[in-house]
Amino acid sequence: MKLRLCAAILAGKIAAGLARLCGRRGSSLPGVVALRLYPGVLRALVKQVRLGVIVVTGTNGKTTTSNMIAEMLAAAGFRIVNNREGANLITGVTAAFVRAARLVGKITCDYAVLEVDEASFPRVVAQTEPELVVITNFFRDQLDRYGELDTTVSFIRRTLAERPHVSLVLNADDPLVSQLASCSLDVIFYGVAPRSGARGRVGGAREARFCPLCGYALEYTCYHYSQLGMYRCEACGFGRPRPHVEATAASVGGQVLRARLRWDDMVISVVLPTRGVYNLYNALAAFTAGIVLGIDPATATASLGSYTPATGRLQGFLYQGKPVYLNLVKNPAGFNETLNLLLAGRSTRDVFIAINDNDADGRDISWLWDVDFEVLAGADDILGFICSGKRGEEMAVRLKYAGVPPRKITVVESLRAAVDRTLNGPGEAAYFLATYTALWPVEKLLRRRVTRDTKYAHGLSSLS
Amino acid sequence: MLTVCHLYPDLLNLYGDRGNITAFVRRCEWRGIPVEVREIGLGQPVDFEAVDFVFLGGGSDREQTLMAEDLARRREELWAAIEGDLVVLAICGGYQLLGRYYRTLQGETIPGLGLLDFHTRAGEKRLIGDIAVEVELDGRKVRLVGFENHGGQTFLGQVSPLGRVLAGYGNNGVDGTEGARYRNVFCSYLHGPLLPKNTVFTDYLISRALARRGQESFLRPLDDTFEERAREVILRRLRVARQGDG
Repeated sequence: MKLRLCAAILAGKIAAGLARLCGRRGSSLPGVVALRLYPGVLRALVKQVRLGVIVVTGTNGKTTTSNMIAEMLAAAGFRIVNNREGANLITGVTAAFVRAARLVGKITCDYAVLEVDEASFPRVVAQTEPELVVITNFFRDQLDRYGELDTTVSFIRRTLAERPHVSLVLNADDPLVSQLASCSLDVIFYGVAPRSGARGRVGGAREARFCPLCGYALEYTCYHYSQLGMYRCEACGFGRPRPHVEATAASVGGQVLRARLRWDDMVISVVLPTRGVYNLYNALAAFTAGIVLGIDPATATASLGSYTPATGRLQGFLYQGKPVYLNLVKNPAGFNETLNLLLAGRSTRDVFIAINDNDADGRDISWLWDVDFEVLAGADDILGFICSGKRGEEMAVRLKYAGVPPRKITVVESLRAAVDRTLNGPGEAAYFLATYTALWPVEKLLRRRVTRDTKYAHGLSSLS
Repeated sequence: MLTVCHLYPDLLNLYGDRGNITAFVRRCEWRGIPVEVREIGLGQPVDFEAVDFVFLGGGSDREQTLMAEDLARRREELWAAIEGDLVVLAICGGYQLLGRYYRTLQGETIPGLGLLDFHTRAGEKRLIGDIAVEVELDGRKVRLVGFENHGGQTFLGQVSPLGRVLAGYGNNGVDGTEGARYRNVFCSYLHGPLLPKNTVFTDYLISRALARRGQESFLRPLDDTFEERAREVILRRLRVARQGDG
């Protein structure tokens, strides 16, 4: 057994090295190779994690939330295994362990922080038996791969119900998530306090119009985004649980994100070098997990304050003095939030959108019609839309039917030409939006051209 | 003035199908034809004689059951309007509902509205992927493209298919038919959504709706460059040779 383990680790590491030599990221390849040689490799390595495995799942925010948790734990002095680049199937999780393992089959690790794809959740949980599971939200995503959202949620429910002693950190504001509370004996909720005027400008594509328990229509008194908000079912009494950790006085629209976090009788302020209400949720989830794990709150907020976004999570660059942002888009809820950020900008902008329909993106791109592109119709300070990727033409059609004047829309098939055209466009800023498989090539093209990554230095003070 | 009736938009909102409404409405507006959209929820009254285009999409199982119960109560009015040449587009779950029944894998039979003569059986595997279909509209052959994703397999009785499968699965993956057509009722499994990039078909629906009101049904051509390019991406990918279609 030991020999097979070592052989699997060696082969995985060789695969990683070869992939790097070929210029490929190969973030799950070492896992594929190691699992092929020794299917028990993940179990054998997970056993050596000293303090526990933390799994983050949900539709949006997995990568950011799990990376925030990992950085927080690292800042508190723990050794971490983490699938940082978002390779979140069983192969990617295995790859993260293989990377961290020594050739003798040993790892030195206090916590494993794993983001796990919703559909892979049952399998990864069975192999890693986490102590703590964090669930961010559920939106429709890549329907052709997962079937309907109800099915995904029911698989996760079943997996959790078999493990009532796993601690859960749940988003109280999402009815599809909070309904899972009955699966565990130990549930901590996080949520955002109702804000005045929280009805976002872009808010369609709500998943949970109906009570997940009884099917009656849910009543909302406030929406934060999509179906996240203050909800209640008049028929069966199901409603938003009172969060143990709550964000109040949040400001999400500026260059940095500010909020006050309240739990028990304590309050702490946090400032994050990023934007958007969804990042507030990510930070809140990470902070709550930190509290559950016994991290000192000041350490937790300091770590959040210096968080650097992973690839394509509103990553900032500078190109000849022009601010350039790169963001992953993969489903209506996330895309709508990205549009809100796009509209919040004050400078003139050029917008690049690359849509691929490979397996990892979801082969069915019908969801583009569930995104509220109509809000762009009157956005005069967006000067042009450059559509690219395998389905750039479809994106152009979508924008046209959303009411964007066709003269502002261009289809450029080659990603390289499309990136150059956008960077050199007339706008004072450039936004790059890409689906999963388009993201990496676009990032690579951007990196070769930009002068440096922007650091929001003014956002670093985090305690008050 | 045309009135579009979007049935149960709250329930049947899977797969971006509301894009079909958008396409119909925009293409009227671009030609100066006034359009009004009425969104009809469960139990809300609707006069099918007074509307010009009805869209019925698909939803998840639970939502589809709610819609089936509600629509069953409107069956007679809907049928009368269909016989009066009302233009109806039914996609996926909405399509299945117009037939006689749906048989689940467990052998349970869920009755449909029985408006058209076909039935659907749950298949062992979902039929998923890009699809191209050839349809004949007033004697003119047109290629439609879309994306299909359905667990049900539909078998036609005494009703015409909407078209012939060029690449993909269609109704059941076996007999080469796709969708169903009766008078001005058009049923299909094509998502994408169907109407935005299949402009000839969309315009055909608009002119049928105008003709039913005795209005001028000739439509001024529009610049469809983006739509045509989007459609050709799929035709090329499926290696369906281009010939004689608009």
